[in-house]
Amino acid sequence: MESLVQAGVKIVFGYPGGAIMPIYDALYDYQDKIKHVLVRHEQGAAHAAEGYARACGKPGVCFATSGPGATNLVTGIADAMLDSVPIVCITGQVTSALIGSDAFQEADVIGVTTPITKWNYQIIKAAEIPEVLAKAFHIATTGRPGPVVIDITKDAQFGRLDFFYPKKVTIASYNPNLFPHPKQIELAAELLNNAKRPYVLFGHGVLIAKAEKELRTLIEKGGLPAAATLHGISALPADHPLYVGFLGMHGNYGPNVLSNKADVVLAVGMRFDDRVTGRLKDYLPRAKIIHIDIDPAELNKNVKTYIPIVADAKIALQELTQKIKKNHHRPWLAEFRKCDQLEMTKVIKNESYPRAGQIKMAEVITMLSEKTKGRAIIVVDVGQHQMVAARYYKPVLADSFITSGGMGTMGFALPAGMGAKFAAPEREVIVVCGDGGFQMNIQELATIAQEQIPLKIIILNNSYLGMVRQWQELFFNKRYSSTRLQNPDFIQIAKGFYIKGEKVQDRSDLSLALSRLIKAKTPYLLEIMVEKEGNVFPMVPSGASVEEIRLE
Amino acid sequence: MKHLSTITVFSQNTPGVLYRIADLFLRRKINIESLTVSEIELPGQSRFTITVRADGDLVEKVVKQLYRIIEVSKVVDSLDHELIFKELSFIKVHTKDAAARHELERLAQMSGAKITYVTGRFLVIEKAGTEEEINNIYQLLKPYGIKEFVRSGRIAVFKE
Repeated sequence: MESLVQAGVKIVFGYPGGAIMPIYDALYDYQDKIKHVLVRHEQGAAHAAEGYARACGKPGVCFATSGPGATNLVTGIADAMLDSVPIVCITGQVTSALIGSDAFQEADVIGVTTPITKWNYQIIKAAEIPEVLAKAFHIATTGRPGPVVIDITKDAQFGRLDFFYPKKVTIASYNPNLFPHPKQIELAAELLNNAKRPYVLFGHGVLIAKAEKELRTLIEKGGLPAAATLHGISALPADHPLYVGFLGMHGNYGPNVLSNKADVVLAVGMRFDDRVTGRLKDYLPRAKIIHIDIDPAELNKNVKTYIPIVADAKIALQELTQKIKKNHHRPWLAEFRKCDQLEMTKVIKNESYPRAGQIKMAEVITMLSEKTKGRAIIVVDVGQHQMVAARYYKPVLADSFITSGGMGTMGFALPAGMGAKFAAPEREVIVVCGDGGFQMNIQELATIAQEQIPLKIIILNNSYLGMVRQWQELFFNKRYSSTRLQNPDFIQIAKGFYIKGEKVQDRSDLSLALSRLIKAKTPYLLEIMVEKEGNVFPMVPSGASVEEIRLE
Repeated sequence: MKHLSTITVFSQNTPGVLYRIADLFLRRKINIESLTVSEIELPGQSRFTITVRADGDLVEKVVKQLYRIIEVSKVVDSLDHELIFKELSFIKVHTKDAAARHELERLAQMSGAKITYVTGRFLVIEKAGTEEEINNIYQLLKPYGIKEFVRSGRIAVFKE
């Protein structure tokens, strides 16, 4: 416990059980220093820790017991691994003498979590606890962040030790390179200075490095159009004149289709995921790529990089800004705006401001964005509504768009939203999920009610697993195999958890209902019945080039 | 083009590193041809020598991913001409009679191998050498009837 206090931990999400009881017993004496949130399933704890970390940048912490407690964390750990989220999971383990004997609630947690952790370690002696925990927090939060699992045997939890918490951790083999090579920066600046159609792609790395201001300064000086990956959203205010939109399979039209016209691409803190690049061999055919990332393994992984720069995004952007010339690229930027107009007439107008028919997801998000002035933290689940939220919510503050990107974990949003609200109690936190994903961690409504977390929850209910249904419609000849959902009465369910809720079916009720949701001082659930068979466009079909993006 | 690479990994000698290394090769579907691990001149450090037959680009990516392992301090990918390398093998061969034993002794001597153990029925030949040299002696001894054959993975030091 003392180690956690020393590491600056204020809150833990967890669930007790046999093999972690000594830790929970110690927690009883530390209630004034560390708040414990009792989740209803360990997966919820892992996602809540992620949401917490994503909203404030500090590591999220969760506790689980041995065996099933630990294995229930696995999805959340894998999610944190793919999205580079610093979480520290502490799991109880059976007494060291019993390890390997198939003891009650024994699982090989180290074995199970090795491929999905940045680091893991099993403690069998109490004396190791302070040093290992210090190391765990250091590793989770530095370099490219990621999940760390510390498995502590029950006997080690009972053990006594002379407490000494190391102030500074040094690991000889682990020294992430923060400072860019000056020569590479010079080459990159020269390339950008001579570019006709330069294009900046920014990702999660900008938010992790807290380099939002540096990104802004750089693009303003160079007059560089910039697009966000899914996790890059909110690193640049959505109303910034050089922000051209969101990349990827369901991204904006211009940012995708114009990728292949760019002559120099500066990629910062992003990893050229297949959802961004489309068919690799036809991606960025004309561009020389400058790629800044703190993880050397990301450079040249998916696309051939002309100038790789291993560095912290904040430092690299600062140095690059000094070297580039003041410039503007008005005709090039105008091409993006032309694409925007096309997307507006072909897609956005009908999606955001429909006059007839059922409520559309995009109109809900557009209205929400307008009503919150883009100042809320939006925590989004996975599926159609996720892409719609990414497209239509216009955040103006950093760390405001939280979702499961790499793993695409349904059920992420509700617990992650709880964590985010604890991290940023002063900000409005709104969870947006589909009717499918909401049911995957629905039990966390009990946690929300018990803690009276004033979390706002929107279910965009189309009675389908919408994204899969969309693919079935477009690529599987409308064979809707196992995608129709016969849902429970979500409002009654919320009521059962002592959470207020209301259901919206008519367009005329939508605006006031959203206002009530935002104004509520308590947890509040809004179920909105939306168009059943709506599709998200634009769309780069799977395996197609970004140029083959479809508007309809 | 697939070719033989020797990947040398330096890491802290802690449990779990081997698991993480093996997992990386598994995920990239690269079959490990041989692997040896031992402590080295620096206390608490181990050295992995891994040989794989794979595409050069893929090996380069794996090398970078190996650096993600916290305990790993250095990774070097080398081609044969950059290394001094050897394997060790034991070959247990039948000896029907004195004549056969005599012939085997001569063969071993010619191939720069040693006879490390002798009984009335068989002898054990120890050969240290490159994979090719070991393959050669194996072929030479095959007609006499091989009872057991085992070889270590490659160990290597850098020429530079």
